[in-house]
Amino acid sequence: MVDFSTMLAGFGDALSFLNLAFILFGVVLGQFVGAVPGIGPIMAMAIAIPFTFGLDPLPAIAFLVGVNKGGLVGGAVPAVLMNTPGTPDAAATAMDGYPLAKQGKPLKATKMALFSSITGDTFSDIVLITVSAPLAVLALKMGPIEVVALMIFAFSILAGLIGNSLAKGIISAAFGLLAASIGQDPENFTPRLIFGYWDLFDGLALPSVAIGMLAISEILHRLSEAHGNLRPAIIAKNTDNPDDSRVTWAEYWSCRVTMLRGAIIGTILGALPGIGSTAAAFMSYAMTKASSKDPGSFGKGNIHGIAASESANSAVVGANLIPLLTLGIPGSVGAALIISAFMIHGMQPGPLLFENQGRLVYGLFGAMIMANFVNLWVGQLGLRLWVKVVSAPESIIFSSALLLCFVGVSMATSGLFGVAIMLIFAIIGYLMTSFGYSLVIFIIAFFLGPRFEKSIAQSLALTNGDMTQVLKSPVAVALLILSVVSLVWFLRTNARVEDE
Amino acid sequence: MKLSKNLVALAASAVMALTAPSFAEDWAPDGPLTIEIGFGAGGSTDTMGRVLAEVMKENTGWNIVVENKPGGGGVAMFTGLSQRPADGKTIGMGVSIPVLVQLVQRGDQLPFNVDSFDYLGTIAKAELALVASKDAPFDDLEGMIAYAKEKGTLPVATMAPPQVLMMKQTKATTGAEFNLVTADGGAEVMKLILGGQVMAGFGSGEQFPYLESGDMKVIASANQSRLSYAPEAKTFIESGVNAYVDPVFFLAMKAGTDAEALKAISAAIDEATKAPAFAEIVQNAVKGAPINMGPEGAKQMMVDGLANAKILFAK
Amino acid sequence: MGTMADRISGLFFMALGLVMYFWINPTYIETVDGGNLSPDSLPNICSLILAVAGAFVAIKPTNHHVRNPVLMAKTGLYVALLVAGIWAMSWLGFEYVAPVLALAIMWFVGERRLLWLGLGVVVVPAAIWFIVTQLLGRALP
Repeated sequence: MVDFSTMLAGFGDALSFLNLAFILFGVVLGQFVGAVPGIGPIMAMAIAIPFTFGLDPLPAIAFLVGVNKGGLVGGAVPAVLMNTPGTPDAAATAMDGYPLAKQGKPLKATKMALFSSITGDTFSDIVLITVSAPLAVLALKMGPIEVVALMIFAFSILAGLIGNSLAKGIISAAFGLLAASIGQDPENFTPRLIFGYWDLFDGLALPSVAIGMLAISEILHRLSEAHGNLRPAIIAKNTDNPDDSRVTWAEYWSCRVTMLRGAIIGTILGALPGIGSTAAAFMSYAMTKASSKDPGSFGKGNIHGIAASESANSAVVGANLIPLLTLGIPGSVGAALIISAFMIHGMQPGPLLFENQGRLVYGLFGAMIMANFVNLWVGQLGLRLWVKVVSAPESIIFSSALLLCFVGVSMATSGLFGVAIMLIFAIIGYLMTSFGYSLVIFIIAFFLGPRFEKSIAQSLALTNGDMTQVLKSPVAVALLILSVVSLVWFLRTNARVEDE
Repeated sequence: MKLSKNLVALAASAVMALTAPSFAEDWAPDGPLTIEIGFGAGGSTDTMGRVLAEVMKENTGWNIVVENKPGGGGVAMFTGLSQRPADGKTIGMGVSIPVLVQLVQRGDQLPFNVDSFDYLGTIAKAELALVASKDAPFDDLEGMIAYAKEKGTLPVATMAPPQVLMMKQTKATTGAEFNLVTADGGAEVMKLILGGQVMAGFGSGEQFPYLESGDMKVIASANQSRLSYAPEAKTFIESGVNAYVDPVFFLAMKAGTDAEALKAISAAIDEATKAPAFAEIVQNAVKGAPINMGPEGAKQMMVDGLANAKILFAK
Repeated sequence: MGTMADRISGLFFMALGLVMYFWINPTYIETVDGGNLSPDSLPNICSLILAVAGAFVAIKPTNHHVRNPVLMAKTGLYVALLVAGIWAMSWLGFEYVAPVLALAIMWFVGERRLLWLGLGVVVVPAAIWFIVTQLLGRALP
């Protein structure tokens, strides 16, 4: 255990002028780059890493944490203001954020995203700082069989997102899983459905699919509508009512249960490597909608929808550091980038990190808390700027967004091949929306698919194909029972919404 | 951006070297020189490649751009490289084993072979270890095989095809049964061992913190020779299983590149692999010193590696 | 008319599932000896689900209205433009294609104001070029 004076010294380090400056710089960069369509928070970190080569460890890692946290706040901006989420987790935010922004309340929508994001983030940071060690031990006990059960539970909750046709929802999910099966199979590493393109060997790149389906397909649709009709991309405000541009304390407080639920879901999923923020955001959204007294108001600008999504996806990021710092296991791409930053500075996260580098770890914790304050402050200023930017005519917003998506996807994947894949999925996404198939269900299935298949393969290998061994795991059995319960509950809620 | 003391010192020495006629080669790239890394951003290959580029840039003053071209353990990147003109502008960086495995198993589907490239040098060797929890009732591979026979079967975590084949070879030689669980990278192997879901697994560096803390022990070296950090652990070959893998990080260009360019670039790489800043990164990434076998050595490594891979991986 | 859209999309997914199951999966997925989960298990299950659910949608269609066909045709035009843009970039590079692509898109939308055109066609691509290649030291497509 780290002694108290080391903790204090670590927190003190985080408050030094140099470190605060790097946190501020990181947050500003993260919010800015994260908000640019097509780039997003992960890309922001990958770009930032080489700049940390020359820094001392604490400023370097504080800077990256700043970029990561800033990027999360920034990532909600294109989702809310333009309905073009750059990452799949922000797609959940767009479901209510964009309708609210379209009603002439873009500042209210983005501020709600900012406040709930920081609330969820702070919650998981506190969990990380206080109880990371016991949580990490629990995460270890989640073997492949339990992970399969957990993912079945996640899929069952997604039933809450299926609209009026169950068959169409199932098609979206199966199509997403089919797309996820492109690339090497999880057990024998054979190239599968790659049609001779070795760029596909590691599977379709997530940025290509997510940005193509969620952002480009929406931009194409809006371009076709904009023909000869020059409007601002968003209207900053319709009325002079100041409440349209801010979130009142009463509104924030009314979302406390929603945000707490989101933060808990995000923290649990974040502590378990490989599930990720997308599932957390949508699970939180679906549970909030189903437990609401007025589920029909979701998707039409309900602030609870924004709060549910943002609190959950931001909580994942802090919680991702639980397995990372204690076990050296990255829970997400962003966490993997932080590990490489540790490695560049000669440290390997793992069981001895707290002992050997206690002061640095507590310096990092201090930096995370400071980054949350800075995020709130910079966000208040930055959001006004973004609302102004997006008030420019649609012609320039969409042409620039397309160019940025080209560049961003090309940098995040392997060049123009990734851009071509992006365009293919933009067309698929456009057609699916036109014919009434859910894109978010496709994306979630695509995102969870590889992990799901791998965990099934691992479970089969461990049990020699004898699936009755599942009964020996109480956690798995409990999750499977919960899956059935939630499936019934969500399908009944859907029916209730339809009846209204 | 701010540079570290090491890089500043390097920059200073590079400036001095440039003014001295001995260092400066006549050849310089016409426009930016691109290093394509066959893996995604953030891994150890990416980190080493980016630092190598940084040091080369400081040494030579060339404009060097680093790009990630992930896919198939480098196969996608080398496929692309083999289709380019040999204009001396693009360098590929990859790891030998994944490329050799695909060449042996699916050579007919690939547009390149070992001769499609001019080799520039190597930068490091990865050490691959079979590790187990400290509580495991065996201490070496022979003990593990005996324990597997006693229990009927034993769960082992792997993360890539060569390791699966090594375990299958172990089974073929000794008759012991293993449940082979494929994990998503070394970190997940460690998680499976710590969580008690498997008894042993392969690690290419992810196990170091656990060796240091005493939570894990080395069972065997999967390389041709013993591990530098655990010289007491026997190799698979010494334990009676005739199989090994020696992954080497190497750099290459399209075959037919101008000889002057090859000479200048491989000299720059050699210079960079000797820099302390680079050695530090390699030490952090693979727990070993940089190894540059030079252009001929790199080519020989690939040719020999292919012959060995044919024995181990042929279908 | 109301049920046409669902009949078409349902039949499409049914056909896709069947083609995948009977032709593409067997052709483009290798078979392996041993192992616990065959490489074609998941793709085959998904293909069959697609076929069955697609048939169900075609038989019991909902009253879904597809987007305005005129808008869809216009979207096709923009798609063609982007395809041409990617193709041109593979030959000429981002620097030369981006301004032309931006101009074409803005022109089709109906933008004629010089200030906005200048911003979108000159300033934005130049800013992207400067940030990516000069500040970040990365390559453009």
